[in-house]
Amino acid sequence: MNARSRWRLGANTTALLVAVVTAFPIFWMVLSAFKPKGEVQSLDPRPWTAHPTLESFRQVLSVDGFGRYFVNSLVIALSVVVLSALVVFLAAVAVTRFRFRFRTTIMVMFLIAQMIPVEALTIPLFFMFRDAGRFAPGIGLNTLASLILVQLAFSLPFGIWMMRGFVAAVPVSIEEAAQIDGASRTRILWTVLLPLVAPGLAATSVFSFIAAWNDFVFAKTFIISATENQTLPSALLVFFKPDENDWGGIMAASTLMTVPVLIFFIAVQRKLVSGLAGAVKD
Amino acid sequence: MRIVRRTTAAAVLAATCLAAAACSPGTAVPAGEKAADDKSGTLQVWLYNEAGNAAKEAVVAKAVTEFQSAHQGVTVNVSYIDTDASARAAKMKGAFNDPSSAPDLVEFGNTDLPGYVAAGGLAEIGADLDKWADKGDLDPAIAKTAVLDGKTYGLPWWVGVRALYYRTDLFTEAGLAAPTSYDELVAATRKIHAAHSDTFGIAIGGKYTFGALPFVWDAGGDIAAKDGDKFKAAINSAASQTGVKRYTDLFDEAGCPAQQCADLTGGKTVDLFAAGKAAMAILPNSSRSKVDAGAAKDKYAVVPLPGAKAGSIAPAFAGGNNLGVMKAAKHRTLAVQFAQLLAGPGYQEQMYDAMGNLPTLKSVNAKVAAKDAFLKPFTDTIAAGTRFVPLDQAWAQIDAQAVIPTMLQQVVTGKADVAKASGDAATQITSAFAAR
Amino acid sequence: MSAPTTTAPAAPPSPSGRRRGAAAAAPPRGRRRTPLLLLLPAAVVMIPLVAYPIYQLGLLSVLNFGQAQASGGVPTSFVGLGNYRKILSDGQFWSVLSQTLGFAAFCVVATLAVGATLAVLLTRVGRVPRLVLTTAAMAAWAAPAMTGSTVWSFLFDTNLGLVNKTLVGIGLDGFHEFNWFYDKWTAFLIVGAVVVWHSFPFVMVTLYAGIRAIPAEVLEAAALDGANTWTTFRRITAPMLRPILTIVVIQSVIWDFKVFTQIYVMTEGGGIAGQNLVLNVYAYQKAFASSQYGLGAAIGVIMLLVLVIPTVLYIRSLRRTGNEL
Repeated sequence: MNARSRWRLGANTTALLVAVVTAFPIFWMVLSAFKPKGEVQSLDPRPWTAHPTLESFRQVLSVDGFGRYFVNSLVIALSVVVLSALVVFLAAVAVTRFRFRFRTTIMVMFLIAQMIPVEALTIPLFFMFRDAGRFAPGIGLNTLASLILVQLAFSLPFGIWMMRGFVAAVPVSIEEAAQIDGASRTRILWTVLLPLVAPGLAATSVFSFIAAWNDFVFAKTFIISATENQTLPSALLVFFKPDENDWGGIMAASTLMTVPVLIFFIAVQRKLVSGLAGAVKD
Repeated sequence: MRIVRRTTAAAVLAATCLAAAACSPGTAVPAGEKAADDKSGTLQVWLYNEAGNAAKEAVVAKAVTEFQSAHQGVTVNVSYIDTDASARAAKMKGAFNDPSSAPDLVEFGNTDLPGYVAAGGLAEIGADLDKWADKGDLDPAIAKTAVLDGKTYGLPWWVGVRALYYRTDLFTEAGLAAPTSYDELVAATRKIHAAHSDTFGIAIGGKYTFGALPFVWDAGGDIAAKDGDKFKAAINSAASQTGVKRYTDLFDEAGCPAQQCADLTGGKTVDLFAAGKAAMAILPNSSRSKVDAGAAKDKYAVVPLPGAKAGSIAPAFAGGNNLGVMKAAKHRTLAVQFAQLLAGPGYQEQMYDAMGNLPTLKSVNAKVAAKDAFLKPFTDTIAAGTRFVPLDQAWAQIDAQAVIPTMLQQVVTGKADVAKASGDAATQITSAFAAR
Repeated sequence: MSAPTTTAPAAPPSPSGRRRGAAAAAPPRGRRRTPLLLLLPAAVVMIPLVAYPIYQLGLLSVLNFGQAQASGGVPTSFVGLGNYRKILSDGQFWSVLSQTLGFAAFCVVATLAVGATLAVLLTRVGRVPRLVLTTAAMAAWAAPAMTGSTVWSFLFDTNLGLVNKTLVGIGLDGFHEFNWFYDKWTAFLIVGAVVVWHSFPFVMVTLYAGIRAIPAEVLEAAALDGANTWTTFRRITAPMLRPILTIVVIQSVIWDFKVFTQIYVMTEGGGIAGQNLVLNVYAYQKAFASSQYGLGAAIGVIMLLVLVIPTVLYIRSLRRTGNEL
């Protein structure tokens, strides 16, 4: 074995070891969810179980309206992903392809918007949605639309910052060529530029999906009386009681919360890496 | 110099806005004293989602059926709200800030009452309760926890008081009887720990406010004392300091080692005792089922928590939940009637059977105590006199800022002595009362 | 908020094309409106839902505004800088602020170090280890902060935790029922580890993608010129990664400065006697949990300023060296 292949073996082993350490908490979470109650609370924890059971999952799934909350969360997260991608794309084109007054100011504003602790904004937002609800009941408090809107708004600043790199990476010459061919600017935007930055949109959508899926600050603030519009995380909060460590239930709830995000990740993974790579070619 | 100009413009704009109501933060107009009073339709009720909620739901469902058949055209819709403190607070604030989302009837922790009243959330129901047949049966000390400035805002539904659980097997082995004074309690921790080095003398916690307060009250101290119509911090008085010292002195090798116990909440001490890890614990009667599910099953008994004087009982905190009618209720009369049904003798007894929560009606208390000898130390504790946190919305702030736990933890971890820690706590308590 | 726009042309962009990009050519009349049209949807969403609430935040910070004012009919009063004075004169605030800065710096540096090292590692390993590591990292990334924090707390639990059990198992008896959250520094270490665990995948994947995007010819040419690994990194890789590194660093600083869930869940609201408080948790305890919105808003504004000032200075220095945002 020469030095080079020994080096390679070392690198491979390290990568696998790091992977094991990184994934271990997730493995432990899933494992604990499948363990019988007595074994989870055991003073002698073991990294396997001889008696896997669905007991904890059954307990979590028996939360009234679980399916409904799951669908609500999915609707919110997917709507935010789609809307956010559209708005982010247009705004990113504006700030990369054009020079105009206040461009830098706007970019700094997008940064500042991310620096505010969200909790501090819930009160002004609450009253705004309440008042909006008087004129347009469809987007008032207690509606999924209010959650979609607020998640959309808070996903934009980071999305635009990320997307800027992706748009900049597309050579201007491609657009110019299309323009010479007589394509209108609107057409170029949708049929030339959009497909080219699609991987980048996939990458940014990961962030908007996670943020929308995991949120419970806004969900618990805006959804007051309409229990049918609760989201999954706020419903599963029932299991996270600091005083009563029902670890089996907590782990099953955590697993059910993590799996959809993981599926979304795996779905966009390939695009994610190539998309992020595109951003560097600036 | 565009920056300067723009800043000036912004300042002018802000100043204009300050003057104009249009830019002020949103507020909700509090509902008038005369709330809407539909006699039909859907009565919205929010109750706490507690551990073992299925049993509670079953009892409440029976009450709903009974109520609906007595009131034609009325549907009762009960939602069980998350008891996690921040989620619950968000929900209640939402109901205050958006009256149209508010329910008619809510269950709430009795320490939350002053804050909810200040928020304009609860309706005064004193006059309604005066007409209630069972009013005279309410325990007066407990009834007082729902009264603020002479007005009644809640109907006490159940209470929980804490007493001393101890392991009979360990005590017998050590040749000890149940402690009847603080000194005997300390001696017991020493003797048992000497024989079983892996066992804690007593399970207590640095975050267990309601485990610590009985020691303070027993010593003659308090969190704050009423001085005229204003509260004044009293946690640093000589008597309070004695009590704090007695509680924190238990965090030693024999009692509950600081390393293990400094960050425990009351709930965690239940786990320790249930797992057989501790010889004593200060727990409510509702912890019984949890203890019975653990290693300590059939090996324990309960006595009132002893005070410093031999044979005395340390005053317990009268924690519990009330039923309250929202100011924004749309069915005020129905809400009061449903509360009276739930808190009436029949359903109080059933709630005890289902959840183990102590009734607030004296007659029901006597009845359940007679049927269950286990309850005697708890009813004795209530009879000996219970205490309460300052009935003022400042308590919400003192509680949220973890003033008492921080004080206890500073002493327990040796970061500060009792005088310094209680002095700091007093400063914060004073500022909380002054904040309004 | 007046960001530095002093160098922005007061007149419409000159036709001389002093900057790269599509705007280099003289913009036709309609062209000037195009960027504004493109920004319109973002503005429609963000002005009411982000900008206006931020403005309200500033307003609340000079008012005495609590739940009694919001819904109890108690009149709102103007307190000027009273809320700010209250916070700035609180000794605890300053210790929490320095603690927050230290903790955030630690997390940012650790996240970048771990992420960058693993990104380089990814370029050197075979397909299978790469896939395994990327997938594991995705799992950590996907785990909501709430669940991640809970699982780690469970692993480090004093009595039920696997970590203590394993450490005792390999002969370290001192870890029998060891409470990781008793000591301030071990508690911060564990929470920091969780923050890094949650955030290194973003850095790793981004930088890995960045390295991969560097044309192979460039690197080969450097190798032919006899450049060693370090020189190649310094002269080629690092400069090409600079734009993406800037974003990664800025975002990490913002996120780690605002960390809430991990601290709140793992140290149960700020640790023993508040020893593990960071600003966001402090704001929650001090103000929001007891509905003191005015006070909370003031803390929010202070947090904002702490982040904005270095950002603005950084952007200025970028401009001075001829770079752009």
